[in-house]
Amino acid sequence: MAHGKTEKCEQDCYKGGTVLFMYLTGLGIRYWLMFSRYQSIIANHIEISTPLNSWKRVSEGLCLQSKGINPYEGDLLHEAPITILFYKVLTQWWKLDIKTIFLAFDAGTAVVLYFVAKKYMFHLFIEQEENKKQYALNSKEFLLSGSDFVNSPVFVASAFLFNPYTIFNCVGQSTVVFHNFFIALFLFCMLSGSVILSVLSLAICTMMSFYPIVLIIPLFLYSNGIYKSKFRAILTPILFIATLAAFITISIGLSNGTAFMKNVYGFILTVPDLQPNIGLFWYFFTEMFDHFRDLFISSFQINATVLYLIPLSVKFRKDPFLLTFAILCLISVFKSYPCLGDVGFVLSLLPCFIHLFNYSQQGFLVGVIFLITTALGPILWHLWIYSNSANANFYFGVTLAFAIAQIFLVTDILFAYLKREFCLNHGKERKIDGKDALLILE
Amino acid sequence: MFLPTLLVLIFSPFGVLTSKPDKFTEELFIKPLYSDQLYVHFHFATKWDTNPEQETFRHTHIFPRALGEIVERYNVQELHVSLTGGLWRYETWGYPILDAAPGAEVWAWFKDTTEDVDQNWKLLASSLSGLLCASLNFIDKANSIRPEYTFKPKGVFSGSNLNSSFVRYSSLPREIVCTENLTPWKKLLPCESKSGLASLLNSGYIHNTRYHSVAIHMRPVCRDSSCEFVSLELQQTVSLVYDYLILGTKNWSFRKLFGQGLMGRCPLAETSTIYIDTTSNTSVPFQLTPSPDDYVTSIRGGHVNTFAKYVVRPYAMSLNANFLGKESVLLNAPPSLHANQYITGYGQERGGIVTKIYNNHWSHLDVVVLQNIPWYVPIYLHTLKIEVNGLEAEPLKIRYIPGRQRERPYHLELLLKLPARSVTSVSVDFDYVFLKWQEYPPDANHGFYIGSAIISANLPLARNFTGLPQDGSTIADSFNASRSGYLVQVRTENMVITLPTPDFSMPYNVICLACTVVALAFGPLHNITTKRLVLTVKDNEKLIVKIKNKIVKVLTDRRGGEEKQSVQ
Repeated sequence: MAHGKTEKCEQDCYKGGTVLFMYLTGLGIRYWLMFSRYQSIIANHIEISTPLNSWKRVSEGLCLQSKGINPYEGDLLHEAPITILFYKVLTQWWKLDIKTIFLAFDAGTAVVLYFVAKKYMFHLFIEQEENKKQYALNSKEFLLSGSDFVNSPVFVASAFLFNPYTIFNCVGQSTVVFHNFFIALFLFCMLSGSVILSVLSLAICTMMSFYPIVLIIPLFLYSNGIYKSKFRAILTPILFIATLAAFITISIGLSNGTAFMKNVYGFILTVPDLQPNIGLFWYFFTEMFDHFRDLFISSFQINATVLYLIPLSVKFRKDPFLLTFAILCLISVFKSYPCLGDVGFVLSLLPCFIHLFNYSQQGFLVGVIFLITTALGPILWHLWIYSNSANANFYFGVTLAFAIAQIFLVTDILFAYLKREFCLNHGKERKIDGKDALLILE
Repeated sequence: MFLPTLLVLIFSPFGVLTSKPDKFTEELFIKPLYSDQLYVHFHFATKWDTNPEQETFRHTHIFPRALGEIVERYNVQELHVSLTGGLWRYETWGYPILDAAPGAEVWAWFKDTTEDVDQNWKLLASSLSGLLCASLNFIDKANSIRPEYTFKPKGVFSGSNLNSSFVRYSSLPREIVCTENLTPWKKLLPCESKSGLASLLNSGYIHNTRYHSVAIHMRPVCRDSSCEFVSLELQQTVSLVYDYLILGTKNWSFRKLFGQGLMGRCPLAETSTIYIDTTSNTSVPFQLTPSPDDYVTSIRGGHVNTFAKYVVRPYAMSLNANFLGKESVLLNAPPSLHANQYITGYGQERGGIVTKIYNNHWSHLDVVVLQNIPWYVPIYLHTLKIEVNGLEAEPLKIRYIPGRQRERPYHLELLLKLPARSVTSVSVDFDYVFLKWQEYPPDANHGFYIGSAIISANLPLARNFTGLPQDGSTIADSFNASRSGYLVQVRTENMVITLPTPDFSMPYNVICLACTVVALAFGPLHNITTKRLVLTVKDNEKLIVKIKNKIVKVLTDRRGGEEKQSVQ
């Protein structure tokens, strides 16, 4: 089999040189934008920098700290003490150039994602080989070919390197760059079966933005598969909670108190800053009646975290990576302060599911909505804020459409997975007693 | 038995009078300002020889009891309130006797026995709001700061721990000052506005000026030079700046300024005096009728001023000033220190606040800049830039307390050394904040106010300076009062920013649309996770055919039923 794969790859697969060239081009684009005059324009866009991740606020926090003022006394800083220490070490102790740090971490994410895809493709390959006998006879054409397995990581890397969302995210110096790096690291560690490292990186992500806490479920499912023992698998969440507790203790020690909890996690959960972003929260809670505010904040947060978690985990327990992808997707739509960096990261994972593309139906629609909203968003923002000729409703409309596109994307992929499973098990014929039949959910 | 009681009742008020001596003075100060304005300042001072620590304000003679009760209840050591319309133009007008920021401004020191200063401050502001009919009840923790360097106690302070946790400062720049504030203020005077200089305060005239400021300043002072005992001092002032263009002439009189003449002095006043600054007579001569009772020459901080003095007698009088001679070209000698403040940037996303401080003095000056920036204007300290004559400089000291949304304003206090003859600009960047729709005021597009910055300095020279010395309580005390420094607290302009607004008519639509998007995710995900894929026979029939089939089916069922019944 391996011999046949390499043979076929002679024609279809990308060579190492091409991949290297791709990396250099992706970094080159980032480097050029980073040191051009567009950098500040990009960094100032609310689609890139939210109150949660803008580098301006991090520098404010570092500045306050250097002047002996507790940065969590005010409410401009929403980064966890542990990450502030991380930035402090990078910028003040090691005296690294900020822009280089961002470039390096984004390049690191691209490399890690390449290996994530490679691991996942390997998993798919093993699974396909194992289950081949159970599949329907005429479903051979649905199986993945060798070139798919080899090319998919390249596609993932290129989707990350040349995705305008991730490029802007890196150039705009949003701290989501670091967040994405640790998420990618988590995915890689999870797929390679290293539970301790994945728990560690997941705890870091949770400290940074809280929402990744729900990814413990897919990790649990994975470790369940690895250990083949319920008891050892249950140790994973316990280990995670212990790591998190340790991090929080360190943070309390670093910031001399628990004030950061209110500033970081309280801020994420109660949404006090209503600066517009690409999410659903800002206008909804600007226009919310005060006595309903708590009700809707809690229901929106439940919607973003646990509402879909259990049903999806039950349904997709056989493919925890797809589950992770779906959860990441839903988080990036429904979190309180989303930015393009989150969306870009999720989109760049998409080529991992190259085997589902044939079954998805709304790719064109989603693509068109992405294109239109990406172009219209900044235009309508400018009209509202700078020209005073539009109002908040216009921008709100665009963010709604953008959210809808993301929702269509994730539901489409999940539906495609179900259809592929069906086709593998029942063959491509869709007939009952010789009559044409429809595939529907019932 | 009955008689002694009666006697006590009758004589007790006299007993109060003799045991608690208090002194009331009323003064009117008039000064022609550079170019086209006339500065008129009413100064009413009450000094009460009582111990403010023990006084319960059950019995007062001249001191207003209404104010005394508030001060006593909230443990106030020192109180300063001003209500101002218009902006004092330091650059051309020099320094006023008492500085005041546009709008309402309150600062107070609480006694060091106060337990909950914040609560007392809030209650004090609410009580003052009732006393003066001003919106001071909007003062709370969210717009008050504790200045560290700017507001030191003006009077004596006996407590051992003098620290900023007992001082509070707040300003309401949007407050509009008018008759409804002046009338209750006049009621605090012993003669109200029935007689004395206060009878000139005719609201129809005095709110027609370029600048008008009503103020109350209360503090404990030394009773004598040995300072063994403490007295309570209350200064009530009204400052007005008339514009000759509004008056229509450069010849002014009581009638033109106040609409009426003066109907004698207040009988309760110890002295009742009018001072007119005639220093500018050499360049812009004017003739006073009737001629003054006396001329006073004051040498203060190297500057000589002459004043015409009138002693108000218990009968009607008026005062005219006739401008003599030709218009002469005047050269403005700006005061040693003045400042401006403005907003930079465009759009409603990011902006900056710039404070420009001018030092026209021939040597360096040490100043304190205080900025009370509301929570809806979040500033970034790392963007703070101080430029002296275009070169970057460092502050001597910085005190910064970051604000919190809806809880606390941003408090920035800087100690700067201004080089001789320099322009210093202090700039800091801020973000525009998006508020909840119910937090916008009724006229949301009018904008939000940022209060003035306060620049305090001890000037070495008394040029253009009219303020009272710290130990003085009347204008007469400021004559020949040379000191080592002359404290000025320059207030800058207020600023207005228009925060971006949502569409106020949209709440239901927004709630519906956002919930629809959530439902768009919920529906398919619910289907995917709870249902399974199955194959069903493809239905190619058209809708009409379907309906027809259904009707036929229903009919045949019924007929079948009837047949069944008939069979039975």
